[in-house]
Amino acid sequence: MGGRGSSVKIAIWAALGIFVVYPLGRLLSSVIIGDSGPSLEPFVSALSQGGTWEALFNSMTLATAVATSGTALGFLFAFGSSRMALPGAVKKSMTAITVLPLVSPPFTTAIALTLTLGPGGTVLKLLSLPDIDIYGFTGTLLAELLTYFPLAYLTLRGVMEGSSNDLEEGAMDLGATRWQAFKTVTLPLSIPGLANSFLVLFGLSLADFASPMVMGGHRFPVLTTEAYLRITGMYDLEGGAALALILVAPALAVYFLQKHWTKRSFVTVTGRNRGPAAFIMGPVGRWSVLLPIGIVSAFILYLYGIIFAGSFVEAWGLDHSLTLENYRYAFTSGMRSIIDTLLLASVSTVIGTLAALAVAFSVVDGRSPWTEFTSLLNSVLPGTVVGIAYVSAFNSGPLVLTGTMTVMVALCVFRYGAPAVRLMMASMAQIDRSIEEAAMDLGASRARAFRDVVIPLIMPSILGGARAIFAVSMTAVSALIFLVSVRWNLLTVRILECITELMFSQAAALSVVLIVLVFAFSALLDRLARRLSH
Amino acid sequence: MIKVKRQVKNIAIACLVALGLTSMATYGEAKTLRAYTIWSERYAKAIFDAFTADTGVKVQWIRFSSGELQARLEAEKANPQVDVVFGNMAEAFVDGVKKGLFEPYSPKGSEVIPAEFKDKDGYWTGVALDPICFMTNGQFLKDKGLDAPRSWEDLLSPAYDKKLQMADARTSGTAMYRILSLVQAMGEEKAFEYQVKLDSSVQTYTKSGAGGALPVARGQAAGGIFFLVDGLEMVQKGYDVVISYPKEGVVAGIEAMALVAGAKDPDLGRAFLDWASSERMQKLYGENEINLIPTNPDVPAATAELDMSSMKILPMDIVWAGENRERLVKRWVEEVVR
Repeated sequence: MGGRGSSVKIAIWAALGIFVVYPLGRLLSSVIIGDSGPSLEPFVSALSQGGTWEALFNSMTLATAVATSGTALGFLFAFGSSRMALPGAVKKSMTAITVLPLVSPPFTTAIALTLTLGPGGTVLKLLSLPDIDIYGFTGTLLAELLTYFPLAYLTLRGVMEGSSNDLEEGAMDLGATRWQAFKTVTLPLSIPGLANSFLVLFGLSLADFASPMVMGGHRFPVLTTEAYLRITGMYDLEGGAALALILVAPALAVYFLQKHWTKRSFVTVTGRNRGPAAFIMGPVGRWSVLLPIGIVSAFILYLYGIIFAGSFVEAWGLDHSLTLENYRYAFTSGMRSIIDTLLLASVSTVIGTLAALAVAFSVVDGRSPWTEFTSLLNSVLPGTVVGIAYVSAFNSGPLVLTGTMTVMVALCVFRYGAPAVRLMMASMAQIDRSIEEAAMDLGASRARAFRDVVIPLIMPSILGGARAIFAVSMTAVSALIFLVSVRWNLLTVRILECITELMFSQAAALSVVLIVLVFAFSALLDRLARRLSH
Repeated sequence: MIKVKRQVKNIAIACLVALGLTSMATYGEAKTLRAYTIWSERYAKAIFDAFTADTGVKVQWIRFSSGELQARLEAEKANPQVDVVFGNMAEAFVDGVKKGLFEPYSPKGSEVIPAEFKDKDGYWTGVALDPICFMTNGQFLKDKGLDAPRSWEDLLSPAYDKKLQMADARTSGTAMYRILSLVQAMGEEKAFEYQVKLDSSVQTYTKSGAGGALPVARGQAAGGIFFLVDGLEMVQKGYDVVISYPKEGVVAGIEAMALVAGAKDPDLGRAFLDWASSERMQKLYGENEINLIPTNPDVPAATAELDMSSMKILPMDIVWAGENRERLVKRWVEEVVR
């Protein structure tokens, strides 16, 4: 262990201390101390209400369902794109389509879902189905599944592309059938990826607020919506914060469960990597993967087709004459917010990717679960609460950052960096330590071995992480709304404003602009990656 | 490869430097009023731009939903970031006064505003009213051969079965005013009996007050109970909807303004409150298609729908409403939704 490793560790803990522990600690102390001396009353009163337990139960059920189904769907897509012999264009468009829900502003997926599957929805009419009761568990699950499975896909693809096909071939050479090879080799080897993806999705679903807000209706309360309601509906900041802080418990439980579950390590990246090759499959296997992919992709395309079409009409649902007026609005009235958002997201992506890499490295290297858990903490709490914690922490006291870009970037890095950390950790866990050791035996320093050996091997995950941070920073709203100052104008805040002002066509145009920007960034990253690998 | 790495490093350093600079940059020029509002972009811009035109003072403002504004104000209490709050609901101010968020100031010119639209201790002053109304889809009414509802009873007609959308009392101020309207019109017991009956006609309770507006306008729902401001917005957009009022009467939300306790520039805040109490400010509503009713009796209604004499406005005790809010919501959840 060189001095450099420990200085990285100190820097990480300093950053986590300032931007995770400190604001949450201040929030916790304000809940406990309150106006009338220290007491656990807010927690006791929150937990003594039947509604809280119902909401907690709903949150857990939903998060489990989303994490399971999202990981399964993500696995299917990742398997298809990294292990099957498909034309390059198909793989590319698969990635593009799956990323759509991830990069679109919150609320858009939910709203598009209501328009298609809600009462009198277009898909229902098309298939002449009767109205289904979409508001509640079903609708929320669908909206979150669509929004978050792309992250499972990105995580698993990073893992699968990193490992080679040798082992499966080996298994089949030894007489295993394709299904046996898949079951006994491919699947177990993906366990670090699957577990990480499960955890990411579980956390995101726990913290998600937009989908249950629109789709949950009144019959499906979850903790995030209940906390939001207490804060904004009853003007009860402490009570709401107490409710939200309860979410830390299930997050902690699942985290340690996951740790226990993935104790065995699987090394698939060895020095003799020749890259993934196609997994040979029979027609049944092939179609059982391709059919669901096709259906889901078509549905996503249809959902976003609606938004795309909506951006070119005068007034959505009323006057469908074509116009470019909404785009004129986007690039005049919305220009400031486009530039500000791009700036914020770019800075957050650069800093966030480096920070995530440092955290991932120090966790994998030092086996320090608390670093890892702390780095995830901000991401499992609802945005509203993290936002409020940041306002109260950085508006007064030793560190005043209100209205600065620093505080917004810090929020993006420490809240939205979590998926990137998981992604990189999943890949790092697969790397055979002997590769690094070999480099060090040859005289390389630890840092040099990391830079020249590990980083190139996990490049796909680093890029995936950067993409995820950029996309989420571009679309984040629930926490940032508490931090925006008059100086900063954010695109999603603007879109939400258009939605509340019922300017749906303008909201659609701004959403399209946002999606295009994220894709452009993604393409730029790919070019950078290609230059780096040559 | 090494060159690219150096580039990445340089970019990272540049980002950090930029961050440092923005953190240090002092913002706010000589005379700038800072404000929070819940009014929509278009409404708020018209008002604040007019203030700048009249006085030369720039306004930096951010808009939120009512509860978010209050949460941010409370979180910033130790170091307030704004001078005034303009346009939040009166009950938020009642709550904020208890939390010590505001400072009393009775603006010059606010004497003409009736006592029921302002705080007796001068903490807040009402600038506009927004009554509860019915909004029904025009095509639906034609298809069913119905008239727009004119009484609370009309909404119980089987024609509306599972076709109404309205807001959830746990999330929405609109829903609270709907309940208060019913309590004022028929007394609390009757009001809850009525809501249990109405519940069977409700498709979904939306999280936000305006959440059902587009479904009604597009015909996915037949109608609902809204704030007038959201109903008239759909009319102005050209959707086929009909606005009507129950003859038994409704209550109106009071949108008010106040000086923030510990404001950086309280004098400028007071100057704004004085300006905003003038007849001139409330006349801006009519000039800018702002669908709110002036609290100043000297300002005439801009359109027929905004004429208070065309509706029956019931009196409401805002303090009682604030104190009973939690109880009423709980009762609504237990008796109506469950």
